[in-house]
Formats: sequence, C-alpha cells, structure tokens
Amino acid sequence: MKRVLGLVSGFDNPLIIKDGVSRMRSWRAPLGITLYLGLLGAFGYAIFTIQVLTAQYNSSASAAIGGEVFAAMAFFQLALISLFAPALAAGSISGERERQTFDVLLVSRVSAFGIVWGKLIASLAYLLLIILTALPLFAAVFLFGGIDFEQFVLTQVITIATALSIGAVSVFFSALFKRSLPSTVTSYASAFAMVIGSAVAGLMLSYVASYRSGATGSSIEGHPVLFGNPLFALYIVLGSPSGAPVHVGRLLQLLVLSDGPAANWGPTIEPWQFSVFSELAVTALAILGAVLLVRGRRALPLRRRPLVVEAAG
Amino acid sequence: MISVEALRKRFGRQQALEDVSFSVPKGEIFGFVGPNGAGKTTTIRILATLAPADSGLASIGGIPVGDDPAAVRELVGYMPDFFGVYDRLTASEYLEFYAACHGVARNRRRRVALELLELVDLADRRDTQVDTLSRGMKQRLCLARSLVHDPKVLLLDEPASGLDPRARVEMRELVKELRRMGKTILVSSHILPELEELCTWVGFIDRGRMVAVGPMEQVRNRVVSGRRLRIELVEADEDTMVRAEQALHDREGVLAVDRMGDHFEVTVGDDFEDDELLAHLVHSKLRVKSFSAVAGDLAEAFMRLTGPGEDDLA
Repeated sequence: MKRVLGLVSGFDNPLIIKDGVSRMRSWRAPLGITLYLGLLGAFGYAIFTIQVLTAQYNSSASAAIGGEVFAAMAFFQLALISLFAPALAAGSISGERERQTFDVLLVSRVSAFGIVWGKLIASLAYLLLIILTALPLFAAVFLFGGIDFEQFVLTQVITIATALSIGAVSVFFSALFKRSLPSTVTSYASAFAMVIGSAVAGLMLSYVASYRSGATGSSIEGHPVLFGNPLFALYIVLGSPSGAPVHVGRLLQLLVLSDGPAANWGPTIEPWQFSVFSELAVTALAILGAVLLVRGRRALPLRRRPLVVEAAG
Repeated sequence: MISVEALRKRFGRQQALEDVSFSVPKGEIFGFVGPNGAGKTTTIRILATLAPADSGLASIGGIPVGDDPAAVRELVGYMPDFFGVYDRLTASEYLEFYAACHGVARNRRRRVALELLELVDLADRRDTQVDTLSRGMKQRLCLARSLVHDPKVLLLDEPASGLDPRARVEMRELVKELRRMGKTILVSSHILPELEELCTWVGFIDRGRMVAVGPMEQVRNRVVSGRRLRIELVEADEDTMVRAEQALHDREGVLAVDRMGDHFEVTVGDDFEDDELLAHLVHSKLRVKSFSAVAGDLAEAFMRLTGPGEDDLA
C-alpha cells in the first residue's frame, strides 16, 4: 500500500498538472496529435498500398502484408517519437528561466527532484497520449494477421522507453543551458546519437568484433552498442519471433573487444531487454544530472557551503 | 526579523557586496535604496535562498539562511524584480498552482487563491488568463503569489517598477495593508518619494556597501540638515528677484538661498517657523504666488549618500 501511495504521490506534482493544463489549452496540442496521426496513418496506408500492389496472392499474403505494414509503422513511430520528445522536453526548465518563473519555483517547497520529475512526466504525458491515440492505427493491422500480441506490446515498450530516455536527456540539457535554443539543438543531437548514431556505431563495432573472432555472414554477433539500440531491438522483435538471446558474459566480452572463445556465463538477455535496460539507465543518469544542476541554483545548506561569520564593522 | 551581518559576495572580479549589515525589526517596512548595480538584488536573492553568500550571516526569523534554506523559504515570500507568468492559466489557477508548490492542502488551495485575489483587488479577474492582464495587475498578482503560504516576511524587489501612477498608488496601498496584517517587508525601489511615504526604516546601499541604515526619520535627519522650501513670486523680473533674495538672506534661520530660474529654494533649520518667513516676505512688499515644502528629502539624502565622496559619509 505504501508503494502504491508513493507512486501516486510521485504523480501528484503541481508542475505535471500545470504543464498539462497549459499544454492542452494550446492549439499546438491537437495540432501535434493530428500531425502525428496523419503522418503515421498516411505512411501506413502508403506501405499497405505498395504491399497490396506487389503481393502475390496466396494463403499467406494477408499475414505478410500485415507484418510488413506493422513493422514499417513501428519504425516510423519510433522515428516520430524521437523527433517529438526533444521538442517537448528540451525547453522544460530553460523555458522557466526564459519566462523568468524559475526563481519563484526555487523559493517554493518543490524539491529539485520534484521540478525535474514534474517536467519530465509533463513532457512524457503528451507523448504517451500521442502513442495511445495511435494504438487504433496499429490495431487495424491485426485484421491482416502476421503480428502476435507479444510483438505488439514489446513494440510499444521499446517506443515508450526510447521516449523516456530522450525526454530525460532533453530535460538534463534544459537544466544545463540557460536558453532553450542550445538545449534543443543538443537534445536533438543526443537523440540522433542515441537512435541512429548508436545503430551505425554498433553495426561497425559488430563487424570489427566478428572480424576479430573470424565470424562471417549470418553468424555476425551484435555488439553491446548495437544490442542497446532501440532500432535493432525493434528489428529483432519484429523479425525474429524467438528473439536473439545472448549471454551477458558474451556482451561484456564484446564490449571490451577481448579475443578468445565466446563466453557463455551469466543469464541470457534479448536485445529489447538490453535496450530498455540501457535506456532506463540513461534516464536515471540524466535525471540525476538534472537534479544536481537544479539544486546548484539554490543556496546550499551550511554543511555543504560554509558561511564564515565575520565581525561587523 | 531580518538580520544581515557583514555579508560579502563576489562575482568574478567584481565585489558585489562588501560587509553589508542591517536589520529589520518585526512588522516594519524597510526601504532598500541604491543605484543600479549597488547590490540590492544580490542581497535580496541571498535572503531568498537563491544565492549563497561568500561570507557573513543572513538570517530570517532567527534562522540563518545558509543553515536551513527550506525553513527560511517557509518564512519568506519573494517577489523578484523581473518575473513572468504562465500562458493559458487563469489568475485563480496561477495562485492555486503556487499554493500547491508551497504545500498548501488541496482542499484549501481554491479558498486561499480567492482570498488573495480579493486582497489584491483582482477577484473579478479570477477567470482571466494571466498573460492577458495588464502589467499593474500582473504585479499585484505576483504579490498575491508571494503570499500563498502566508509568509511572515516579504522580500519585494522593485515591486513598482514600470507601473503607471495609478498602479503605483495601488501597489503602495497594498504594501501598507500587508504591514497592517503584521508582515515584515523589505522593499527595494528607485521611486524614492513613494518609499519615503511607505517605509518606516530605510537602508542606503552603494557599490556593495551600506552607507546609511536606520529608522526613516533618523536617517533623513542625519543626512539632510534642514528642510527645503520652494517660493515662487507673482512677478519674476530681475529687480523683484534680487530684492527677494536679499529679503530671504536677511531672515534669521535661513541657511541657504538657491535661485532656480523663476523661483527660489530655501534651506531652513528643522525648527524654523515657515509662516514667519512668509510674513517677512509679505512685509517686504513681495507678492508670493506659492510657498511650499520641497518633497523628496529622501531623494536628497540618496543623492548625497551615493554621490562622489560618499565613502566619507558612511
């Protein structure tokens, strides 16, 4: 019961309510949802049309079309969310500074964590709403078959974890920079590095590791950098129903590029699990960094910054 | 209630505060006066727990700011010199949001917001979006915002800056009302005639140093010797002005006579009888058009204390 109350109190944050009310009263809120659903729907319909025109009609054609359309939409959704998250979170704290409301927040009882958490959840709430509104589009694909429920759920989990990590990193930059412009630019650069950069780097490192171990073709193993990438995780979830589990020992071995026989110690982990875990770790670090930055804006208690009392006059 | 002892603060190579000391008794309104960049905002930010001091001791209600900032924040309501408002929130929602930030119980927030809107005369604007309010209304709303947790001390940094005369009068009356409610108020401002009427205590700061501090009358009397009278004659031709100047000089108790174009400003002792001077001018066949005390003694004190060589006065 205490845990439930703690969880509820974490969401009983005035900043979440204020930002939520403020955002949803803006014309940008419905426009953003419309734009998102329009793009996703149009993209899904385009893929569907191409698939129908090029498909050979047999008993498995419907399932193949369904699987292809769902996969395309899932990747497109991940890309859209990666673009939306920095836009929503990168100005969250720097915007308070620019609006000259930050000092007033700092003299209130809201803790540094409360400010960072409130800003993150307020930004993510809108993203979650967007993801939620897109569920019927994804559900429509079930009419064709080719996708099972587990794949559907894991797709959403990977997308939400990506949104969370990019949002948290954007909030961190928002606490780091005084202005929203540099915060937004660095947030987009970070989102690009986390989604595209780590995929490219991970692929290159995977080839290097495979070359060193003499593996070729389909036996190339995913490097941990690739393993933690959400695009790769999505690719495995949608392409391989059995997943691609790897021992944690092997991942660590690849991380340090050590030669020798493949380690098989430790539990096995699938790309989506490793990706979600990595993104949660990035989220935790970004929140911690942002909290420390916000705390630094307040006068610290005496034990951290001693005041030397000098005799007046 | 507010105590500052030997406060020092440096920003890079610039010494922003140099041994600043003053105290404000409970229930008083303290006018914090000084030119731009003198250190007023820095001092207020230290008291509001927004900036650490390099050395010295600042305390509110006996609690050192550096010891327990959270407890100090409970005692203090802070209104910054520049502030913004949130878009798309009504005045009532705005106050309820800050009430929540200050830990006011959920079932009391609405009532607190409405009471404060009533106090600052914005009750009829409770459903108006704050970004559409006039500047004067926003200032009053911000003052109300600083009161949501019923603080004992108010730190108001230039609360009347940029306001039109009517809004300034409203703000001044509001601050007086808050004093009647038992608040201790530190207010910084450049509008000295208003501070003179409003404040019971005053402190002058210049280039990071306190140059005078104490009860208003005491500081004024210490800094400004004598009072000034403005005298204007019906005829301002050269002969009349020369005759008048001579008559004023002849009068005992007149310390100085300054000819200011078409009128005179006369410095007299504190116990000088003004009506006798007026009678003296009439006896000298001079037709007096106006005879009044020059307002702005605080302004004169401010100019004297913050002008060249002010260090000697300190």
